Amino acid sequence: MKDLSLHLMDIVQNSISAKADKVCVFLTADNEADLLTMIITDNGEGIEEHLLKDITSPFTTTRKTRKVGMGISLLMASSNMAGGDLKIYSKRFEGTTLEASFKISHIDRLPLGDIAETMVTLIMSSPDIEFELSVSNKKDCFKFTTMEVKEQLKEVPITQFEVLSWIRDYINSEIKIILGGVLNEILG
Amino acid sequence: MKIDQLADLIQAKILTDNKSLDNEISGAYICDLLSWVMSHANKGDVWITVHTHLNIVAVALLVEVACILVPEGIQVEEATIKKANEEGIAILSSNKTAYQIAVEISKFIPLVK
Repeated sequence: MKDLSLHLMDIVQNSISAKADKVCVFLTADNEADLLTMIITDNGEGIEEHLLKDITSPFTTTRKTRKVGMGISLLMASSNMAGGDLKIYSKRFEGTTLEASFKISHIDRLPLGDIAETMVTLIMSSPDIEFELSVSNKKDCFKFTTMEVKEQLKEVPITQFEVLSWIRDYINSEIKIILGGVLNEILG
Repeated sequence: MKIDQLADLIQAKILTDNKSLDNEISGAYICDLLSWVMSHANKGDVWITVHTHLNIVAVALLVEVACILVPEGIQVEEATIKKANEEGIAILSSNKTAYQIAVEISKFIPLVK
């Protein structure tokens, strides 16, 4: 994957397949520790124990149509390539948490990519799932939740064009504020 | 062109057992971004990559490439070779760069399919 937003999209699809109705994404950039962390946690049906121990292998999959599943293995490769690591915690019928880290300054660290577009695409395709996005640089943080937006919107659907445009702009500008000076890349 | 013919042509070493050397090579593809390879390489390609992780076997299987070719004499992990043998994917190793390999095989493998 060319950037983290594409990995995010891919991993959240796993949560959706696991019938989660709430998915939280945490992006934390810690300049002192030189570490960028992406945590995705859901309340889906969790991963069966026998699959969990080999979950980062590309030959572990629940697919019936083919014997390889690349999502987690590719993210693990991206993390390892940038001096980071990947961990997965899961409890059957409670949910799954995936934690991927990257050394911010590592030359092979993937750029952040268009996180706002990923969130908007996810909301658009699964409007009934509650999504949360928290972005932090250890000093400041910002949090976006679809639940709050829906409360404000009342009858207006969250998938309406103007709403999605607003969400995209809002997330973009907040990411710029929080991560702009922290990640050595041009954002948005 | 067959895999063993390719190996002879560029003096590459065949790291896997001899099961799938009969595969016909119909093209070549060079890329190290695995997700990109998954969506852009073609069935029957010889895939040249600097990656040696187990993931390359999974990608090769998915795309049905003819074989994997690791350039610049990069060491390939034993676990990767073992899995490739299980899945019938040939892995070749060459001391040449991807570019040198591409130039040499371009006379024998068609550019357009």
